[in-house]
Amino acid sequence: MALTTVGGASNATRRVEDEIFRRGRDLKGTSFRSLMLSALGVSILILIVLIVDVFVDGWSVLSTRLPDFITGTLRSQSSSDALGISQGLLGSLWIAVFVTVLSFPIGVAAAIYLEEYAPRNLLTKTIDIAIRNLAGVPSVVYGLLGLFLFVQTNNGNSTLYAGGITLAILVLPIVVITSAEAIRAVPSSLRQGAYGVGATKWDVIRTQILPFAAPGILTGSLLSLSRAVGEAAPLILVGAITGRLAPRGGSFVSLDQLGDRFTAMPIVIVGWVQESGRDPGFAAAAGAAIVVLLALVVMMNSVAVTLRNYFENKRG
Amino acid sequence: MKPGTKIARLLATLAALSLVAAACGGSADDAAGSGDGDSAETSSASGEIFISGSSTVEPISILVAELYEEVAPDVFVDVTGPGTGDGFQQFCNGETDISDASRQIKDEEIANCEANGITFTEILVGIDGIAVMTNTANSAVDCVTFENLYGLIGPESEGVNTWSGANDILGDGLPEAPLDIFGPGAESGTFDSFIEIVLEETAEERGQDATARSDYNPSAEDNLILQGIQSSDTSLGWVGFAFANDDVKLLEVDGGNGCVAPTAETIASNEYPISRNLYIYVNNEKAAASEALNGFVDFYVNEGLDSAVAEVGYVALSEDAKSEVRAAWNG
Repeated sequence: MALTTVGGASNATRRVEDEIFRRGRDLKGTSFRSLMLSALGVSILILIVLIVDVFVDGWSVLSTRLPDFITGTLRSQSSSDALGISQGLLGSLWIAVFVTVLSFPIGVAAAIYLEEYAPRNLLTKTIDIAIRNLAGVPSVVYGLLGLFLFVQTNNGNSTLYAGGITLAILVLPIVVITSAEAIRAVPSSLRQGAYGVGATKWDVIRTQILPFAAPGILTGSLLSLSRAVGEAAPLILVGAITGRLAPRGGSFVSLDQLGDRFTAMPIVIVGWVQESGRDPGFAAAAGAAIVVLLALVVMMNSVAVTLRNYFENKRG
Repeated sequence: MKPGTKIARLLATLAALSLVAAACGGSADDAAGSGDGDSAETSSASGEIFISGSSTVEPISILVAELYEEVAPDVFVDVTGPGTGDGFQQFCNGETDISDASRQIKDEEIANCEANGITFTEILVGIDGIAVMTNTANSAVDCVTFENLYGLIGPESEGVNTWSGANDILGDGLPEAPLDIFGPGAESGTFDSFIEIVLEETAEERGQDATARSDYNPSAEDNLILQGIQSSDTSLGWVGFAFANDDVKLLEVDGGNGCVAPTAETIASNEYPISRNLYIYVNNEKAAASEALNGFVDFYVNEGLDSAVAEVGYVALSEDAKSEVRAAWNG
């Protein structure tokens, strides 16, 4: 009040703003802002350095023989024209199929039951906590589980389905948690409105909750798919092949190969990085393989973003 | 049920992607098959062969498998390299047909094989020298003796952080310079071989355990060891000869008969004192039962020893040693 009487309203506002926001005066505010900005800068810088580094490493392969590289196979020497990642891509795509077919339906169904049907008691709370803890368990532990459940019971034979199921189990808790969060975020007015017009529980879940929660469920599920495709540690334990996987012919869609030995993109990369000491050309191959894996993951994530936007628009 | 149809559509997309991959994969196989020369006659053997074990020997076995594929297109050979010890465990459980090894099989591993009723044939395939190296900028040292190495890396050297500090323990003539040591970790066959060849005898004479000091920088990856060597001007380290490159300085080693530089020739002739043998172990029962496996090992001891070993960077056996190996396998 006192300020307005001195020099008019607009003048006074400016002076108050100057007082508050003037450079040098709000030292804490300014330094906090620059701290946040530099944190963002560091994260982006690390990302840029990483991407530039793998591109530079892999450029000699990416620029000259990318199609051959994608269709080639694991070889003893980096100079081989047939060197490539087809078997790694194949294994990783199959792992994606396993995660999609096993984790997504089971995880979403479990989340729906936990959020919509299960009574809130000690048992469900314990289950809830257990699932959260499982999501934080290091991935090698899942590798050990896979080794005991699917490899040792199979006379020590490492098979594609062992790797696929192991990674599906690995991401299952993440799918449950993200789906449960998405379902929990559905406004209760939606439920009550639906019940009010006489809908059954199944109707409410089908017509209200799932459509509303779909963007969140999809985002979480597809991000967990990217995680599964990038995992190396559990696959090493389950016995993914590092050196050579004989090309057996047949098509990708034949189910016979589920019982065969397998490899995957992260394993191929680890193997080549190790080989690059003996044969430096493998460093370029490893860089190129990382770029391809990055492209694959970015593709999956953009599918997630597109689907989320689609469902959000529909919901709005 | 809208989310359901979305997931179905996603699955369809994945399936489409995979079909593309399948189509490409098929054409690559064809190209590989038709592009190769057909100097050798084609074998009709068929079956699967699984090789596990040493990651050092892994590239030799992969190359032999690639060459064998041209001769016997219906034999599928898979090769993996978790390490010599892991390999023998699988081998003695009957899970693998051949075990790659960068050392000889140990007594307890033999016992394990016997307990499971598995008999095997040991085949020497090549030689790998162990290179002792330093930074290319380090001109003060050109040659080290086993005594020097004991003083630098042996069990009594714990805490020694200069090269000259090793002179107080054993050996002499090392310069005053900081010491940064990089080497393979205790799980590695290269570590075992280095201890056994260089340190063990001296350690026993001096009443010490045959092991390395624990305060060096161990790494399971040869690359990281080489990078470590390049990172410090007066570094010291050891790695398989095939992995050593021009970015590090290889030291001459004196095992009692004068300084010898590591080269393919000095390693093959045993003049260079730190070298180890590389082996494959073949499961006898499986070889007897499988034409494919038997044919593969025949191929390994003939063409494999002649070309593959040297091509991937290891030292091939002398002609005499090759004939001995062949005679042992055939007899």
